[in-house]
Amino acid sequence: MHKVRAYRPLEWALPPRPVEREVISRLPDTETGRPPLLFVHGMRHAAACFDEHWLRHAAERGFPAHAVSLRGHGGSGGRDLLRRATLRDYVHDVIQTAVALPRQPVLIGHSMGGLVVAMALARYPALGGVLVAPVAVDHGLGSALALGRHGPLALLRGLAGRTVPLRPEWLFAQLDGDTATRHMAGLGDESPLAQYQMILHGPPGRPLGGAPVLVVGAGEDRLVPAGDVRRTARYYGTEPVFHRGFGHDLMLETRWREPLDQILSWVAELPQVTR
Amino acid sequence: MAERGDPTGRTATYCVIGAGSSGLAAVKNLRQYGFDVECLERAEDVGGNWNFGGPTSRVYASTHVISSKPFTQYPDFPMPDRWPDYPHHSQLHAYFRRYAEHFDLLRHIRFGHEVVDLRPVDGAAAWQVTVRTADGVEETRHYAGVVIANGHNWQPKWPRYDGEFAGELLHSMHYKGPDVLRGKRVLVVGGGNTGCDVAVEAAQHADRALHSTRRGYWYVPKFTFGRASDQVNDLLIGLRVPRRLRQWLFRATLRATVGDLTRFGLPEPDHDILETHPIVNSLLVYHLGHGDITPKPDVRRFDGYRVTFADGSEDEVDMVLCCTGYLATVDFLADPQRLNWDGDRFHLYQHVFTPRHDNLFVAGLIQPDSGQFTIAHWQTVAIAEFLRARERAPHAVREFLETARRKLDHRYTAGVDYADTTRHYYEIAHHDYVRGLERTINRLRRAACTR
Ligand SMILES: Cc1cc2nc3c(=O)[nH]c(=O)nc-3n(C[C@H](O)[C@H](O)[C@H](O)COP(=O)(O)OP(=O)(O)OC[C@H]3O[C@@H](n4cnc5c(N)ncnc54)[C@H](O)[C@@H]3O)c2cc1C
Ligand SMILES: NC(=O)c1ccc[n+]([C@@H]2O[C@H](COP(=O)([O-])OP(=O)(O)OC[C@H]3O[C@@H](n4cnc5c(N)ncnc54)[C@H](OP(=O)(O)O)[C@@H]3O)[C@@H](O)[C@H]2O)c1
Repeated sequence: MHKVRAYRPLEWALPPRPVEREVISRLPDTETGRPPLLFVHGMRHAAACFDEHWLRHAAERGFPAHAVSLRGHGGSGGRDLLRRATLRDYVHDVIQTAVALPRQPVLIGHSMGGLVVAMALARYPALGGVLVAPVAVDHGLGSALALGRHGPLALLRGLAGRTVPLRPEWLFAQLDGDTATRHMAGLGDESPLAQYQMILHGPPGRPLGGAPVLVVGAGEDRLVPAGDVRRTARYYGTEPVFHRGFGHDLMLETRWREPLDQILSWVAELPQVTR
Repeated sequence: MAERGDPTGRTATYCVIGAGSSGLAAVKNLRQYGFDVECLERAEDVGGNWNFGGPTSRVYASTHVISSKPFTQYPDFPMPDRWPDYPHHSQLHAYFRRYAEHFDLLRHIRFGHEVVDLRPVDGAAAWQVTVRTADGVEETRHYAGVVIANGHNWQPKWPRYDGEFAGELLHSMHYKGPDVLRGKRVLVVGGGNTGCDVAVEAAQHADRALHSTRRGYWYVPKFTFGRASDQVNDLLIGLRVPRRLRQWLFRATLRATVGDLTRFGLPEPDHDILETHPIVNSLLVYHLGHGDITPKPDVRRFDGYRVTFADGSEDEVDMVLCCTGYLATVDFLADPQRLNWDGDRFHLYQHVFTPRHDNLFVAGLIQPDSGQFTIAHWQTVAIAEFLRARERAPHAVREFLETARRKLDHRYTAGVDYADTTRHYYEIAHHDYVRGLERTINRLRRAACTR
């Protein structure tokens, strides 16, 4: 049994600092009755990574699709205080965006955003949650080791409190050099505290309202090992779905449509009300 | 659609009475736990107290909350970052509407439905509710259980005085804004948050402002050390600073910042800080210091326009505004004993559960030293957990009600001895109380999991 924690005096006393958030929205032409989707990006990314392909396609399939840039990322405020941002602040950013939508959305988080969504699900009763190549819910040691194997210096920089450098071959398996370079140029800084927390964090509580969770993995992921994805899925009592031939950034790959269509089919099957 | 109460008494639908902040939380959380709910609301809109101008709304044009956002909001529906620390009542109303829309609650609420009678049927296996609709038609329905969330800050508590007052005698329930004060000599009675707010408005708009209080109080400014004062308090609570030390720190801070209020003619408080429901008001002291408010002791008697006070002083006024508070009532409950009414107040375990019934609950009957909606959320989660445990582990629920009987009068005051006055019947220390609810929730949850 997971205990409910209602008593949180320090959280009440120290609310996250308010910020302006960038939210990119792509809406269907007509009201379709389908639930809204809220996409949450990963480390160093921003809402724009979903606007490349996924948001428009989801809207075409009838889902009001939104993506938020976490504080200090993309077009959101809080860049000056990024070094002090924690995962709790990011969870706050996600829930603030979710409650501003007309209905309960399905939260879809990628990589670090997957972990943030897992934490948000325990504090806000979303319609459902989708964790895409998520940092594992119990701890991110597997990802840290994977990073250390491909780029020990990158890991060291991260441990030293600097933004973890990334290389295109850790993120993409399908893209040509030019496109990959363009995406790499769009990456921003990351909060050192959030980077540490990604490695060491406890499992979040259970999704409120029993929201169903889908876990999606990338077959060629260099940052989140398949075992970590399976562990996350097990935590939610489900089986992960792996997409072969995909790198970590599934939403930017050439065959981006495949994982998204699979996610949208799952969402379409969800019961429309939380019960 | 939630199905309507079935007149045979065999129904699975629960009834929530009232769509104020507490009733909405009840509908949302019972739905979230899978129960069918129908909510009956007398007004034509959600929000209760915060539905300005509605039948049980007691806010006035200028009301801003006194509890800052983190304490006031539903924990799973935070107020927008863009709102100030202390939002205006119109924002609160918008907040409840958005909550209702976001969680799709409106289709479970029947507006314009006033509950006029409530009684158990079938050996209390179900409850019969009589509702009166706007066109005066009465109708009875049966429900599997009832959550009463009718609010307790709207039925006026009138003071009684000797003599007759010839001017205008109003209660704060009638006070919607300062227009009524202009050009008048106004006596404001009562030193709760309403009385202090209205005294400030009288200072700003009336010809003269007299403020009568029957004791001295502690006036907490809205901000201390650059943050909302309640956040400072909870920082200390979270750091486990003992209560007595906290009281000492508050006294020292107030002495250092606000100073000795007796120099303005106010009486010395007859109690320690935290021992009366907190007054959060930065402007009262300001206007006292400007001489815009004349402090007065308790009223003795009236003769025409003349008022005599307890200290023998006299004055003439055109209007008396009694901000003497509100009394809890559940006037539609045929037999108030069901909620352990002793002629004066209700005795409920954790202010929610009656040991007499496993399908009758009260939400929102608390006077926290903090915000309401966070607490109403956890109260209604506790009710939902109780109902789930009742389905899955009936014996555990019986044991729970046994505890409820034993601990009926346990009050969650964090060891504080509140001043003896009607308005403290349901006073709670929010941190003590939320921890109590947390224990209840986890106890019921464990029972439902292990069967
Ligand atoms: C002036 C003022 C300022 C306040 N400021 C704060 C603050 O800053 N922070 C804070 O946390 N709290 C504050 N409060 C406390 C306030 O009581 C709560 O915020 C909150 O409104 C309580 O909600 P409720 O749902 O329990 O009751 P209410 O808001 O009173 O709602 C009760 C609902 O039940 C309905 N109802 C009643 N009887 C019946 C019936 N027989 N049949 C059908 N429907 C019925 C009513 O129409 C109403 O909609 C303030 C109160 C007042 C009076
Ligand atoms: N957000 C806001 O800005 C705001 C504004 C107003 C109210 N509120 C909230 O609304 C609730 C009700 O507040 P309220 O101020 O209306 O009522 P209240 O807290 O009950 O205060 C009533 C005041 O009147 C006095 N009083 C009661 N009976 C009296 C009598 N017979 N003769 C003389 N004095 C008498 C009380 O004195 P004792 O000390 O002796 O009891 C007290 O000072 C509270 O929870 C309050 O916090 C919030």
